Amino acid sequence: MEYKITMPVLSDTMEKGKLIKWHVNEGQQVKKGDVIAEVESDKAIMEVQTFKDGVVKKLLVKEGDEVPVKSPIAIIETATAQAHAQQTPSQPKEESHPQSSTSSQTLPPELAAILPTKTKELKTQEQKETKASAVVKAVKGAASPAARVEAQKLGIDIEKLQAEQKLPKPAHLKDIKLEALKRYFTPKALELLQEYALDPSVFAHDHKIDADEVQAYIKSHNIPKTIPLSTNRLAVKSNVETAAKKPIYHVYETFTLNPPEDVKITAYLLKVIGDTMQNHPLTRAVLEDESYKIYPASNISVAVAKGDALYMVVCKNIESKNLKEIDTWVKEIKQRDYSPDDLQGSTFGLSNLGMFGIRAFDAMINKKDSGIAAFGKVDKNRVEAVFTFDHRILNGVDAAKFVSELKNNFAKGIDV
Amino acid sequence: MLYREALNRAIDEMMEADESVVILGEDVGRYGGSYRVSEGLFAKYGAKRVIDTPIAELSIVGNAIGMAIAGLRPIAEIMTVNFSLLAMDQIVNHAAKFRYMSGGKMTIPLTIRMPGGVSRQLAAQHSESYETLYSAIPGLIVLAASNATYAYYGLKAAIAMNDPVIFLEHELLYPQEMEFKEQKAFDPFKAEVVKEGKDLTILTYLKMRYDVLEAVPTIEKELGISIEVIDLNSLRPLDMQTIAASVQKTKRVVMVEEDHKTGGYGAEVIARITEELFYTLDAPPLRIAGEDVPIAYNRKLELASIPTPEKIVSRIIAWGAKHGI
Repeated sequence: MEYKITMPVLSDTMEKGKLIKWHVNEGQQVKKGDVIAEVESDKAIMEVQTFKDGVVKKLLVKEGDEVPVKSPIAIIETATAQAHAQQTPSQPKEESHPQSSTSSQTLPPELAAILPTKTKELKTQEQKETKASAVVKAVKGAASPAARVEAQKLGIDIEKLQAEQKLPKPAHLKDIKLEALKRYFTPKALELLQEYALDPSVFAHDHKIDADEVQAYIKSHNIPKTIPLSTNRLAVKSNVETAAKKPIYHVYETFTLNPPEDVKITAYLLKVIGDTMQNHPLTRAVLEDESYKIYPASNISVAVAKGDALYMVVCKNIESKNLKEIDTWVKEIKQRDYSPDDLQGSTFGLSNLGMFGIRAFDAMINKKDSGIAAFGKVDKNRVEAVFTFDHRILNGVDAAKFVSELKNNFAKGIDV
Repeated sequence: MLYREALNRAIDEMMEADESVVILGEDVGRYGGSYRVSEGLFAKYGAKRVIDTPIAELSIVGNAIGMAIAGLRPIAEIMTVNFSLLAMDQIVNHAAKFRYMSGGKMTIPLTIRMPGGVSRQLAAQHSESYETLYSAIPGLIVLAASNATYAYYGLKAAIAMNDPVIFLEHELLYPQEMEFKEQKAFDPFKAEVVKEGKDLTILTYLKMRYDVLEAVPTIEKELGISIEVIDLNSLRPLDMQTIAASVQKTKRVVMVEEDHKTGGYGAEVIARITEELFYTLDAPPLRIAGEDVPIAYNRKLELASIPTPEKIVSRIIAWGAKHGI
């Protein structure tokens, strides 16, 4: 008896299929499960198997031909088909017969689909089964059910790719989708898609898309690149948000400096400010609930930019260190890593942007500090400084006294 | 509106509208109900329609079935599902089967209300969840009310039905203040999409709905996904349509229930999903359920034997890491 192999339905949208290659010749013996052809759907190239043993009687289409789905492409002469053929026509139009669904399950799906006596309802059932069994047969490898369905639809060989370690084991839907994208996008182009959170479907999937093409799309559509904040940036964000909530005011002053030679300007500023803080207890104060905690030490936090991070590194006990020691401290802070202890215990802050040629700026108060001094560029020993004070800790008068003594101390010389 | 007030309102309105509606059970009358659900009804409708019964569950349901056959529309209250086992023969052999045994000539318009689940330190004999037993009985309808809206509309619908309904409540929910949403069209058999999401479906019912909702924001943040939460409402029949629509979208499903895991109600739900939606799944379904132990009296052990928001978070995160989320 003849067993007709039909153009398979490989996806919901497939209407026609193209015969790419025959794997058998007319007259050839075939076994159930043998691949007899390759066909191309609108999405991928798939293998077609025979569900029956037999001899290839006739190949009905040529390689390269396109035919509608479910139309016959080959005829296999089988021995066992004869039994079924006798059985089936003997039950004409038995639509509601309880046996008909059981007997149809013993038929190969292709045969059931083309038999004229089958009811419409039965056909849909058979089609569903064809789909399901095709999935199980065609897709090998470790993957989730959804990944297998997608792999089959796209013609992706999970087992092979897993053997080559190109797919994770087990593979999930997202892995298959990524694998499918690799067919159309170069690795660089894929990276760009990810960086710019671009939907791959904005590109026509009919050629290999490279980074230049993606880049051109990004430019022409002015697509922004999304960069999530690093842990460092998040820390800065949280710190300055807290600082912005403080009731602050500014004091502006121009100082005449008298720095000794061979010493970093930051070290000199730290020493003079630290010594002056000894006479102004509120600059050594931390506000806690409804009391001040006044610390004996002059501990100043210094703004240090490192990569994308901003650290407020604390120089401790300035009052009992000499300028040389502070200079050594300043010179090494850019190089080393910080312990939590390096970043706490301050009551006042210092920020210096003079090295960038900035004339004057104001800074935000670090954590619980009472204030911060922002220094601009030193020009012929003159420098502009902007002080930011926490009004809950220092009143205008307290601040004025502190800044004016600082002015005198800067003008005085200092021992190295 | 309090959960128990929603139930009270539903019963009151049904009794007012139809004088064949009666309520019977232990302490439902003069005392106002163990959980105050029938409060005020005795004074309003009298001893003939609000009937205090002896402490005998088999007779409560047996009498109710007799009333139903004779033309009344009874609501039987069983103090907890644990005691309903005593009435099992009447429920399973009679209430569920009468319509079928009489060739459809007689129906049993009976509603059996009962609270279940783990409350606070009521120990093993007062802490069971038997929805899995009742959901396995053809002829019964099993509804589970997790919130005031469903308690009100669901109970009214149950009383109006001509078939026996097991109406499950939860002991911890009675005194809870809940949002009440007016419904224009109400379908007691429809599951509720409590929260929409696209990467994972969590199915739940009764009190676990609240544990799930508490856990969801943390899971979403940790895994970077969005979660859909569905309250099943109707356990028999099960609303596979709503479940399928969600699972086809999210491709992953987690069932959270307070019941024991082995043979629990979630086993049935997950089996249905695996049978009907296998090829849409991108991860094996996960069941988060009670441990297979009688619930302990000790509070720490009690909490250790049922899902909590913390357990829901950690199990879903561990499962997600293993299955490609």
